[in-house]
Amino acid sequence: MVQNETSSQKIKRAPVHEGMKNHYITFALSIVLTALAFFAVMNPNIPSGFVYFFIVILAAIQAVAQLLFWMHMKDRGHVYAQMAFIVAALVLLPIFITALFWIWW
Amino acid sequence: MSAHSHLDHLPAEPEKATLEGRNKILGFWLFLGAECALFGTLFASYIALRGNNMGGPTANELFDLAIVAVATFILLTSSLFSVLAVHSMHQHNLSKVRFWLAVTVLFGLAFLALEIYEFVHYVHEGHTFTSSAFASSFYSLVGFHGAHVLFGVCWIALLVAQLGRKGLTVVTAPKIYVAALYWHFIDVVWVFIFTVVYLMGKVG
Repeated sequence: MVQNETSSQKIKRAPVHEGMKNHYITFALSIVLTALAFFAVMNPNIPSGFVYFFIVILAAIQAVAQLLFWMHMKDRGHVYAQMAFIVAALVLLPIFITALFWIWW
Repeated sequence: MSAHSHLDHLPAEPEKATLEGRNKILGFWLFLGAECALFGTLFASYIALRGNNMGGPTANELFDLAIVAVATFILLTSSLFSVLAVHSMHQHNLSKVRFWLAVTVLFGLAFLALEIYEFVHYVHEGHTFTSSAFASSFYSLVGFHGAHVLFGVCWIALLVAQLGRKGLTVVTAPKIYVAALYWHFIDVVWVFIFTVVYLMGKVG
């Protein structure tokens, strides 16, 4: 019985161990994207209309990468987590869009 | 390592081994969804009001991107440390879990110290909570995030202490996992604060 448990543990444990590589890639990606956004803002030659658009896209990519890898959304059994987040996004987006319309139109 | 023989009986993913643990993680995601809505309203009011500086300093005059860049790097790195804590938990290595959580707490404190330094500097520049709509919405958004960091620092510090007493079990594992989720969420929110508040403040 004990023997059985140990062997089944080893089989289950194996995929968990190889996970760190993606986490380091996510970290490196986050640093690169943050630095890119930083230099886009610092460079006076880039038109500000483009910079706004560009840095928001970079932030979104970074957030998605962290949600998928660091917060394990890409792992099995996270359907409910994704649903909770998508529902929240559906609440959020109208608020953001309303705010933006209020200022610029 | 008196608890070592006990650790060997832990399942591969101890945070999901019990129904209670799985429910805790699901409940925490629902909480994070609610947090999204809360930060969404704070972001929306900041975006709407950021131009109303009432003759006080503007975002462009005020922000020092060097400090903010360092704070961003510190928070991002601490988020990686909490990944390492969860990874160590999956390896059933209690002392490593406590080490990485403790480092996460230290980096969280460093982030808070920078933020307090920054706020004190702004107040001396005449940028106080009541000086303009821009200032109020700025301190509400960034301050609320800072309060979340402070809460996380206290929470994870207590968790490190509790892990020292109770060890790694199917009861304590979901706590580690959920605390790491919270810390990552704080980092994701900061990515947007860095972009929307600080970087956009410098663009115009």
